Amino acid sequence: MVINVAVRFLSIRLVVGALCFLLLCAGCSIRRVVFNDVVTLEQINFIRIGQTTILELADHIGAPDEVAESEFGVVALYNWSDTKSAALDFGALARLVLPYAPTMTLNRTGITPEQFQVVFDPQWTVRAYGFSRRTTDEPVVWFWPF
Amino acid sequence: MSFAKQLASFTIVLILTQGCVVTRGTIGEPIQEDVLSRIKKGATTMTEVVSLIGAPDRIVRGNDREIFHYYYYDAKSPALLLLLLNFIRMDIKSDNLYVFFNRDGIAEEVVYGKRTGRTQFRLWPFGD
Repeated sequence: MVINVAVRFLSIRLVVGALCFLLLCAGCSIRRVVFNDVVTLEQINFIRIGQTTILELADHIGAPDEVAESEFGVVALYNWSDTKSAALDFGALARLVLPYAPTMTLNRTGITPEQFQVVFDPQWTVRAYGFSRRTTDEPVVWFWPF
Repeated sequence: MSFAKQLASFTIVLILTQGCVVTRGTIGEPIQEDVLSRIKKGATTMTEVVSLIGAPDRIVRGNDREIFHYYYYDAKSPALLLLLLNFIRMDIKSDNLYVFFNRDGIAEEVVYGKRTGRTQFRLWPFGD
């Protein structure tokens, strides 16, 4: 008898816990788009200016996404991005009880395009290289738009 | 298996997968790696490269030379669209092939990088 009460109490707690979790998640929408692999500082440690060729670069970090000509020489561009978007729709809960679902949404999207650029001399050896910019890591769930 | 059991299994599968969306998108054609070995540096001409792989997606001029650029993009996106909670994730990767020609239109260098083999259907939006 004591065991039955304990089991029943546990299952009630489980149901209440699940309901609380659902209420907290109500209207949450989390989106993430990852484009290509990140090029890290450790990965490009091997590059030696005036020595490393485009072939060696491709062997280590793959072929560039783009090759363009600049006034300093040919530039190889490696692109990647991590787009995070989260939304919280306060009207979602009303869908459970109302035929009409009002919308009151807070949404935030962060697009962080990043680039690694390598400039080559006419012999296709590295003349210069660098990251376009390094952004700080944004949290995945961050819907406050203000 | 009886009809009732089949119907029950089908219903369970439907219930478990409701709200699931699986999307796949590609741009261009996958680059045939076996063809790359047929491009001989210092011998294969521009015309032969075109007949082997097709016309390039882009032609770039660099260091006074022509560079053929072929690319292929692969995107995989699973999503879970529930009544109150949505998870959507998309993973996009690209393959790139560059054929560098000398001033006589002969292949001088081939640079190829394949990333699409690592594209995954990953739903969980957290983590790397």
